[in-house]
Amino acid sequence: MIQHDVVIVGAGLAGMRCALEVCKELDVAVLTKVYPSRSHSGAAQGGIAASLGNSEPDSWEEHMYDTVKGGDFLNDQDAVEEYVKAAPRIIYELEHMGCVFSRTPDGKIAQRSFGGHSKPRACFSADRTGHAILHALHEQLIKNSKSVKIYNEWYMHSLVVDGDRCNGVIVSNIQTGEVEVIRAKAVVFCTGGYGRVFKITSNAFASTADGVMAAFEVGIPLEDPEFVQFHPSGLYRQGILFSEAARGEGAYLLNDKGERFMETYAPSRMELAPRDIVARAEQSEMDAGRGINGENCIHLDLRHLGEARIMERLPQIRQLAIDFLGIDCVTDPLPIQPTAHYSMGGIPVDKGGHVVIDAEQTKMQGFFAAGECSCVSVHGGNRLGTNSLLEAVVFGERAGKSVLEYARGKDFGNVNEGQEKAKVLKKFEDIFQREGSESYNQIRDEMKEVMMSHCGVFRDEERLKVCIETLKKLQERFKKGKVTDKGKLFNTEIYEIIELGNMLSMAEIIAFTALYRQESRGGHFRTDFPKRNDEKFLHHSLVYDSPEGFVVKTKPVVITKYQPEERKY
Amino acid sequence: MATFRIKRFNPEKQPEPYFEEFQLDIPDGATLLDCMNQIKWTLDGSLSYRMSCRSAICGSCAVKSNGHALLACQRQAEHLVDDNDTITLEPLGNMKPVKDLVVDFTPFWDKINKVKPYLEPKDEPPEKERHQSQEGFRIIDDSSTCIMCGACYSDCNTLEVDDNFLGPAALAKAQRFVGDSRDSKTLQRVQDLSEPGGIWDCTHCGECVERCPKPARPFDRIKEIMTVALEKGVHNNNGARHALSFTNSVKRSGNLNENRIPVESMGFFNIPGLLSLIPVGLRMLLKGKVPPVIHHSIEEVDDVKRIFKELDQ
Amino acid sequence: MKFALFTGCVAKGATRELMLSTTKAAEGLGFEFVEMKSASCCGAGVVSEKSPLLADALNARSFSIAEKQGLDIVTICSTCQGTLKKTEAHLNESKEYKEKVNDILEEGGHQYNGKTRIKHFANILATEEGMARLKSRIKRPLTGLKVAAFYGCYVLRPSERSDFENPDNPTGMEDIFAALGATPVYYPSRVKCCGFPIVMMNKDASLGMSGNALQDAIEHGADVVATGCPLCHLSLDSYQPEIELLQKKNQSIPILHLPQLVALALGYTPTQLGMDTHIISTLKINQILSGSHSSTH
Repeated sequence: MIQHDVVIVGAGLAGMRCALEVCKELDVAVLTKVYPSRSHSGAAQGGIAASLGNSEPDSWEEHMYDTVKGGDFLNDQDAVEEYVKAAPRIIYELEHMGCVFSRTPDGKIAQRSFGGHSKPRACFSADRTGHAILHALHEQLIKNSKSVKIYNEWYMHSLVVDGDRCNGVIVSNIQTGEVEVIRAKAVVFCTGGYGRVFKITSNAFASTADGVMAAFEVGIPLEDPEFVQFHPSGLYRQGILFSEAARGEGAYLLNDKGERFMETYAPSRMELAPRDIVARAEQSEMDAGRGINGENCIHLDLRHLGEARIMERLPQIRQLAIDFLGIDCVTDPLPIQPTAHYSMGGIPVDKGGHVVIDAEQTKMQGFFAAGECSCVSVHGGNRLGTNSLLEAVVFGERAGKSVLEYARGKDFGNVNEGQEKAKVLKKFEDIFQREGSESYNQIRDEMKEVMMSHCGVFRDEERLKVCIETLKKLQERFKKGKVTDKGKLFNTEIYEIIELGNMLSMAEIIAFTALYRQESRGGHFRTDFPKRNDEKFLHHSLVYDSPEGFVVKTKPVVITKYQPEERKY
Repeated sequence: MATFRIKRFNPEKQPEPYFEEFQLDIPDGATLLDCMNQIKWTLDGSLSYRMSCRSAICGSCAVKSNGHALLACQRQAEHLVDDNDTITLEPLGNMKPVKDLVVDFTPFWDKINKVKPYLEPKDEPPEKERHQSQEGFRIIDDSSTCIMCGACYSDCNTLEVDDNFLGPAALAKAQRFVGDSRDSKTLQRVQDLSEPGGIWDCTHCGECVERCPKPARPFDRIKEIMTVALEKGVHNNNGARHALSFTNSVKRSGNLNENRIPVESMGFFNIPGLLSLIPVGLRMLLKGKVPPVIHHSIEEVDDVKRIFKELDQ
Repeated sequence: MKFALFTGCVAKGATRELMLSTTKAAEGLGFEFVEMKSASCCGAGVVSEKSPLLADALNARSFSIAEKQGLDIVTICSTCQGTLKKTEAHLNESKEYKEKVNDILEEGGHQYNGKTRIKHFANILATEEGMARLKSRIKRPLTGLKVAAFYGCYVLRPSERSDFENPDNPTGMEDIFAALGATPVYYPSRVKCCGFPIVMMNKDASLGMSGNALQDAIEHGADVVATGCPLCHLSLDSYQPEIELLQKKNQSIPILHLPQLVALALGYTPTQLGMDTHIISTLKINQILSGSHSSTH
């Protein structure tokens, strides 16, 4: 049995930052089903927010207000306050580590405007900020390689739990197919989001709800899963992210008539309104038949910015549009559409990154989470751009500190290696033995299709019910899927199947909770309940599994500085 | 209908690799990765390869297509079809295949680690950010775009014959720090990078620049390290001596003195090196191929000397 | 067709036969090549290791010399071609850089105005006019000779600067071989590196590369390798006896410069083209052409 003081699952920004914290004192292992530098954090483009005030005077209070308003007042404000206060120090630390940042003429970290932020506070590295930070942290991990062991291409199947205590994880080595148990005093999940349940998504193939489902399966609830962010500018039909930074630099959104339609929806912020508002604006235009050529897309026009500015500030995404659409944004407008981008919901944690299992914040011993897979909640009902990179680093560090405090001087828990391994081996066997009359590819396509059309930007009771029905049928068909590769060596097919299983469950949870929440708030919009209803729904949804099906309990929102008000831009 | 001719390999089943063909109608706008996925999801689920972001940022899906490395998600499949309506796919070169198109990246990562790819700052950090000029950012901008995909490593001509070469990715990464104004170990770095296996083993073939899916241009980065190494006086190696001898020759006569350069490159005290020149020197002497002993300058050589002087070279 | 001939250093030194055969080929084709006697060494990508600006300034001066004569530049060396094109690209990418370089040139009476084009001999031949001229002046078709091309890296990569249509799969040289009546031999290594740039630094690796390329050509049935770069020629010919890979199998193959191949077809004799000075004997070629040697191995 493998043993480490601490095991971190996921080697993106949150995972690596956590590892750097924990390795100061304890023996820590990081598990990733890819390689650290392949983590999806690297796909983030626009920037990381902090009230440095390098471009215009700024304050943590303004950052906090923007974040809470952006989250439609569902954010836990005590957590938000600590998070925005920590932001400047976190950015400076990243820079000290060597992170490459674009600079102002006087050598400071450059900051640009971003949707929903009242001041330019997005610190950026051209248009590849996530990539820059990912590599900076990876470099630090290499520097500390003696104190951090990285398990590359290992898959995490489930948690080892004993009562209210977490004692490790069951994993398998993708390259050899061997199943192993890792016993640990503390487990940290930094496993990212689950956009892949939708047809059009910016997420990597790896974003498949593995971490959140592993937590759900041992009885931990998921918080606010219905809140999914649809980013306004995904490349048409591809879903690939075309950064909000383009709008930050001044790009326009145009409908088929060439109108800057954001005037109707958010007259004061226009294209720089928060993402959920812009995505809904786009969808409304498209639904009303004003999409480009009547199709399901809108034009993003950068031409007036000029080649020099585009090449300086947005070179990478310009190349993306050329490579994937064959269109050069210097000379032509780009077709874009809303794309499933970020999961506000996730594993509930307290401000320190400790996983909690109920409204009273009862801790799950030895289990922590940080980054997109967690829900603190700092983003509430909708996340502002550049706040996620910040969340990952801030809470990666916090979870690390909490882990140290918890695990210092603790003993290892009891783990029955044979029993735990057997569970996963049986799972593999079950999949290999299946009847084989169904195509997993077909099932996956149908799931993504129904989620996009029936649980997407606009939702209503009827469509959500149809969605849930469809998903349940897909789950049944899933049990009869056909497997080609039954080998042990680098079997990518079996992992795609396991991931699909996780996604089918997650999809149902999202649709179920969307049905439950009869209001519209942040990224969750019900056409049959188009208004925000603070009286009935100003709370977090905690979804549990039960023999009778899913159950929703509520968790209060922590409101300190900013009382809920109407959210207008 | 296109044919995808894919090199399969599964040591669990048989020890030797073999080619397998799949027929697929390339959908409109499909990338090579889209096609690979279609094959895997509808024709043969055992086809194994790495992929993740599908948006040219994670670096997972580099593969050899029609003999040359590229990022599968970045290229339109219909542009890759050859005259026989075929796309041939093989695993990346210079790395050991594990299964189908999956290769062992361990030596690649080991070499990255070897160049100490992390900032070694001068002193204690200030309270806020260290300052860096916009020019300072520009110098490390290109190398920081590298996504570690391995395409350059796959097609590097030196690596094909010499495993000891650090390779284009590691060297480009090294430039990211050699050129970083916040780093304090520049001299140490260029000394290490001037050792055998480092910058002077690059054969200038340009494959790395050709295959890189990003603007990292590894060969250009290697040359930048060379310039810094020469500036810092790291001259005690054949590569540096060669560059200096060449440049001095052009300074003196406007062209290359081919008789001097081999000797000056080896170094006057490098007896084994000088001895190694004898066979080829002798052969050429016997065939009358030795360049004229009295070396002639170009016409108007003074203008060339003037340029050297003006640039302080 | 009149051109300013950028000879490069090696064509007049260690591979004098290149200059010799170029003169003959030009004569045979009716081209007028005016030697650029005041042009400096292109730098071969080595001077730019010391100072990129210096290398560009020296080459910009050479461009200006041709511009003043109102002529385009023709090169007979892949390395010169690639290096000059690189300078051209640098000068055209940035107005400020071009101005900076022109400032340096001014005192010597030179300016770069971007008027002159820079082409390799192979590119000139591979045009419609070049091919027509070639075909109409062949006196001795190279029937029965199997020729493998070796392009030389600098002329192919990076592809945005290459004048060959498809640098991964160029056919320019093979088209010329076919026009000369020879049989072109295609083999993967024709676009690879000969290793010459590191022969002083890592001889084993260098010879390994040229060895692999030559073996590949031999195994694909070539009688001779024709190259557009004298540095490749040095690697493939002058160093050939030291290549272990070939020694072990007792193999060898003669190496020609492209102008030599062309001039042979135009009716010149091997001795007129310096083919008797090669390290690896070129006798076999003549034997094949006169039909007295079987061209299969």
